Amino acid sequence: MSKTIYALLLRLYPAQFRQAYGDEAMQLFHDRTRDEQGMWAKLRLWMDLVADMATSLPRAHRHADAVLVGFPSESVGASPRFQVLQLRAPGLRAFAYGGVLSVVVFGSLITWFGYSRNYRELHMWQGPTKHDLLVRDVAYSGRLSSAPTKSEMQGRRSATADGEAEIGAPRESAHVVLSSWGGGTGPSGFQSTQPSPAASPSSAEPQSMQPKVQNATAAMVEAIGAHQIVMLGEAHGDKQEYEWLCDLVKNREFAQRVDDIVVEFGNSLYQKSVDRYIAGEDVPVDQVQKAWRNMIGAVGPPSPVYAEFYSAVRAANLKRRGKHQMRIVLGDPYGDWEKIKDAEDLGPYLAHRDEWYAQVVKDEVLAKHHRALLIMGSGHFLRRNGPGLVESTIRAAGATPYLVVFGTNAVGGYDNLDQRFDAWQVPAIVSLAGNWVGELPAMPVVTGGTAPATPLKLSDAVDALLYVGPRDALTEVRMPRAELDGTPYGNEIARRLSIQMGHPVDFLSEQTEVPQFPRPQPRPPTNDGARPPLPPMPKSIHDPLPSRPPSQ
Amino acid sequence: MPKRKLDPLPSAAFQILLSLTDGDRHGYSIMRQVEEQTSGHMRLGPGTLYSSIQALLEGGLIEEVTRRGDAEPGHERRRYYRLTASGRKRARSEAEKLADVLRVARARKILRGDYV
Repeated sequence: MSKTIYALLLRLYPAQFRQAYGDEAMQLFHDRTRDEQGMWAKLRLWMDLVADMATSLPRAHRHADAVLVGFPSESVGASPRFQVLQLRAPGLRAFAYGGVLSVVVFGSLITWFGYSRNYRELHMWQGPTKHDLLVRDVAYSGRLSSAPTKSEMQGRRSATADGEAEIGAPRESAHVVLSSWGGGTGPSGFQSTQPSPAASPSSAEPQSMQPKVQNATAAMVEAIGAHQIVMLGEAHGDKQEYEWLCDLVKNREFAQRVDDIVVEFGNSLYQKSVDRYIAGEDVPVDQVQKAWRNMIGAVGPPSPVYAEFYSAVRAANLKRRGKHQMRIVLGDPYGDWEKIKDAEDLGPYLAHRDEWYAQVVKDEVLAKHHRALLIMGSGHFLRRNGPGLVESTIRAAGATPYLVVFGTNAVGGYDNLDQRFDAWQVPAIVSLAGNWVGELPAMPVVTGGTAPATPLKLSDAVDALLYVGPRDALTEVRMPRAELDGTPYGNEIARRLSIQMGHPVDFLSEQTEVPQFPRPQPRPPTNDGARPPLPPMPKSIHDPLPSRPPSQ
Repeated sequence: MPKRKLDPLPSAAFQILLSLTDGDRHGYSIMRQVEEQTSGHMRLGPGTLYSSIQALLEGGLIEEVTRRGDAEPGHERRRYYRLTASGRKRARSEAEKLADVLRVARARKILRGDYV
């Protein structure tokens, strides 16, 4: 419908302009309607278009050439023929029609997006409206933010110091201040007592609001066939998620279609070793494991699920010798922990994690016209005020990524679980356009209810949801203290934590598996009642990335 | 037919030139890049974008490039544009003009805070 309206509006431009750029203008309109979902974005799009027409139409007519617009008669020999020249700009009547059409379009859009949406929420969910969600929105600590820019780092630090953002346990502080191991999903200290709009199952939803729940592997194979780039926002270390990912790479169709898997959990300094390992060569484990053990963005030891994933891709390639092979491309900055002695050495790498990941995608995937699955913490990929840095880079290069993010059935505060998810076969991927899942608030769903609901709607934040099980069934796999204490690697982890946090800290896990989303706890009080000390802000956070050393 | 004026360079045209400094782009990609480099202040609509592109093509500041269609559906309709040598020169000269303005503004203490 909107395309037809825009096609009609385009007819107000001179024929010459339409012939030269009509198709491209339609394509641009199509791209924007696809990328700009949600009421506000669509309204803004139409406002932009009307403003654009108001300024560009008179100019286009002023500069229009007389143009051949038709050939009403065939030329026969030397006989005279007639051609039609469009010499005149549209008269007042055309502009009047355009104005009326614009009013009709705006009226329809406002009615459709505004009234009918509220009507659905009020009368089908029988729960709080968007307004209630807005009222209970609280400042979110930034745990789901992507790697910060310089100004964001400063702003976040001052906001924290001013008491606007929460500082939790040491592990959490690392997420907040360093935004490291990005988009982590653990306790935030938030606890909601408000019911969620979707917490009350309703059978009143029309069929069009019901989601299409697909087997996750089949959906991913389909997605990677339809899109050059599929982005997967992961929950770090989740057992059920990585069991599925390890199965996915064994899938013949997936392995045939995907060229690269770009991962956050791999330091690009070690690309050479990983290339050899993934290609099936014998590489000493001490060498190749540096890729995931020496991640710049990790706080603490990496979850063992990552080593298993590398191993699964290698095994899949070995089984497919002589056929199309997958490559793991490392997207973490190339900082060398053997040379990082203090926070100043670390700063430039931490400050450019998203930029470097995007650069890797540009160089290793887009420039080679490859198809790729991108895996990174969900906080890096979520669309909050539009696409994040990585997605923007991909779109600017002309590709249209499909974004899937890990989430679960927590739709309000920690205790709000939505029973409608129980009927789903897991693992599943659910496309979010036009159904009740897409209408859920994004933050609790992607954080297991540890982050509060904000007005951000799930379908505005991502294209599809990966659901591997109900919130309480999910577990995070950790490298336990028993494997680290007294070992050189354990000592190295303690040294890195000391650099990252500005003082020695110990938050190693006693267990190999813990709940993925533990109940948020209030911040532990300090002796003097003050907030825990902030990690120091390295001055080098403003520095550019150092030059890249040769790959190891 | 009156030619479009490129002197002074309209801000949309200047932003388009800037967006093409790091490689070829198609219309939508230019629009997104301009939005990003202006921190969302300038979103070029199709009419402004393509009339500016037309003017820049006529002025020889950009050129259309033939590019193999990407793997994605829909790419067959896209046309890519590239900055020409004179376009790059013009963008630089425009940026220098703005830098001069900025220098004056700083000297007159109109600006507060750190500006580079």
